[in-house]
Amino acid sequence: MAVLHSAFMVLLPMAYLVVWGSYMWLFLTDHPGAHRIVTRVALVTVFLDLVATVHLAQELHRLPMGSPLEFLGLLALAMLATYLVIERRLHVKNTGFLVTGVAFLFKFLSAAFTTPVRGASPYLSDPGFAGHAVFVLLAYTALSLSFLYAILYLVLSRQLMHRHFGLLFRRLPSLDVLERMSVGAVELGLPLLFVALSLGHLWMYDLADRVSPEMAALLSPYDPKIMATWVIFLAYAVGLAGHRFLGWRGYRMNVMAVVGYVVIVLSMGLIQHFFPTFHKFRVHAEPKTTLLHEAAPTPLVLTRGGGV
Amino acid sequence: MTQLSTLHVRSINHRVAPTAVREQAHIEPEQAVALMNALVGGPEQEAAVRGCLSVIPVSTCNRTEIYLEILEGHDPDAVMGAGLAAVGLDADLYHSEYALRLNGLEAIEHLYKVSSGLESMMLGEPQIAGQLKTAYRLAREHQEPGPGLLRAFQGAFRAGKRVRTETRIATGAVSVAFAAVELARKFFDHLCDQNAVLVGAGETGGLAARHFLQHNIGQLTVVNRSYDRAQTLAQTLMAEKKAGLGRSAREGAAELQALPELEEGCGQIAARPWEELIPALAAADVILTTTGATEPIILPAMVEEAISGRKGKPLFMLDIAVPRDIHPDVHQIAGVFVFGLDDLDEIIQGNLSAREHQIPRAEEIIREELVEFQQWLNDVDLRPTVAEFRAYLEELKDKQVGFVRKKQNDEVAAAVDRSLQQFIKKVVGRSVSTLKAAESREQRERDLATLHRIFGIGDQD
Repeated sequence: MAVLHSAFMVLLPMAYLVVWGSYMWLFLTDHPGAHRIVTRVALVTVFLDLVATVHLAQELHRLPMGSPLEFLGLLALAMLATYLVIERRLHVKNTGFLVTGVAFLFKFLSAAFTTPVRGASPYLSDPGFAGHAVFVLLAYTALSLSFLYAILYLVLSRQLMHRHFGLLFRRLPSLDVLERMSVGAVELGLPLLFVALSLGHLWMYDLADRVSPEMAALLSPYDPKIMATWVIFLAYAVGLAGHRFLGWRGYRMNVMAVVGYVVIVLSMGLIQHFFPTFHKFRVHAEPKTTLLHEAAPTPLVLTRGGGV
Repeated sequence: MTQLSTLHVRSINHRVAPTAVREQAHIEPEQAVALMNALVGGPEQEAAVRGCLSVIPVSTCNRTEIYLEILEGHDPDAVMGAGLAAVGLDADLYHSEYALRLNGLEAIEHLYKVSSGLESMMLGEPQIAGQLKTAYRLAREHQEPGPGLLRAFQGAFRAGKRVRTETRIATGAVSVAFAAVELARKFFDHLCDQNAVLVGAGETGGLAARHFLQHNIGQLTVVNRSYDRAQTLAQTLMAEKKAGLGRSAREGAAELQALPELEEGCGQIAARPWEELIPALAAADVILTTTGATEPIILPAMVEEAISGRKGKPLFMLDIAVPRDIHPDVHQIAGVFVFGLDDLDEIIQGNLSAREHQIPRAEEIIREELVEFQQWLNDVDLRPTVAEFRAYLEELKDKQVGFVRKKQNDEVAAAVDRSLQQFIKKVVGRSVSTLKAAESREQRERDLATLHRIFGIGDQD
């Protein structure tokens, strides 16, 4: 089984590279052959990654989100899969080079630098937490795509402003479509983020009843990561309401999407680094020990490093 | 034995002949029919024009070409010259320096290139395929094309289709009006949701407006210093729309051939007086200016006022007037994108360059199709004999199966039928292989004659 896992760790970055190469070929040449193969190659890769993820989850008896690098690997899969849904809905393939390029980068980093996660959180085996984590993943995937499409919008807009009618002009879809993709991704991501936050809260209260009073005291809804996520949620909601009800369009909307995402990345990075909250822990216990398997939960000790 | 034929084309096109000569060579459909009747009209035709198996004249604004299938041993120029003279067309043109004369596979290659748009003045333009099909249909209505021309045209249509679908040779705007629409589409995916304002009611403005209407612009407002002219243009455009703008524009501007008809609810047309220019601009997503004014008429202050309520939505402005109608400083306003004729020209040149990069792949496709045609041509003399031989064997088989059916049940007869069918397939297959493997044409003719003699098939004359 370890051999199979190792094979996936080599195969998957290569598959993502092939997907990216195919979309680059399409973008650079607009070759009909590229048009025919890109989606198929991406679909095969998504399938392979799904198989690998399920296999890994079975092996580890937990979600493979035990470290930021594991999370990055799953984010690559979610990005590629979500991109394929958008591509199918809007029949636009020429933006794939950017999304698949980022997905490849994430997958490569994840595969190249991941080391076995020792003492991963037992919560990763808890279905309540797993649901929360999966929704977080999907929400951030959608917001990442919104960011990428907003970047493309701003780049194309700049090219048009400076009357550069080169490759980007010929290949990229209209500003209108790029904006719809960016806003559409937020429209998808925002409800997912809301569900993720709600599930997280519910799970936290449920968990508080099952752990020691000392540990329960640490489970606070005023956790910096939770607070920051609610602020981000509200900021995106205001932007979306402005778009829907006040007619915010174009440059303004897309700058907001870019700024919003940069704020997400920076705030999460800072919180992850400076605030060791219950979102950042490592269990000093047997890795496979879980809250679900034991009547008395294993005492948890907050440390720096690891975490989701 | 089958009479062998040869294929030829005589072409007067934009590459070898000036416009005046091309106009002189132009053949109207009635003249094309007369020419076909003169050349392949049957036994009553004059001796001078005998020898022509079939003819397909193709005449467009950039080329007049006559494709001929002539029985071997006849002079194509003499045959065609006599036919042209018989219907009162100028035969001398085709003997002049302005005519391209190609024979055999070169003629077919030329036809394939024409069909693919490689020989067109505007590289990759798709109308030529339709024009070739029209000529082909007309020819089929008045004659039974010879096997060579039939196969060549079918191959040309296939090659053209492959070139257009397997390369990007037909993509990207290559005319000013179409480039304007292409540019607008970089801003707005669905023009039906957008409002356009046409400032100026002249001929250029009308043409630009027609193209935007063809592409389903939502609402078009014509604003002009003379309100009467604005109203007249709006009414004309409305009348054209009702009469089927799609059809009229396709006839006039061939580049629009592949466009859909107007969508329901799109293409509303109105006129507004000059005093309402700023409100009209405020409601617009696309602004086209084409006036004859000597000074800029769209000033930065006007545009700033007009875009105040746009909330970030981009405003597309196209100035195709000379001198310019839009003040250069308008370009500095955030969210406003101003383009001119130079920009459209740059887009066209870029698209033409991109099309030129597709030529090697297009030529590769044509070579593949020519190889197939060559293979067909190599075996063309075998086909009648092989068909007769197969028919002879089928006849024998049917007799044998009938005999078995009388003696045995249907199941046995069906089994015998299947078995003999396989037998025929193998015998014919082996015979064709042997005939194809002949070392020379004479050897092949001897082999064919032997087949005829042994089995007593076909015309022994």
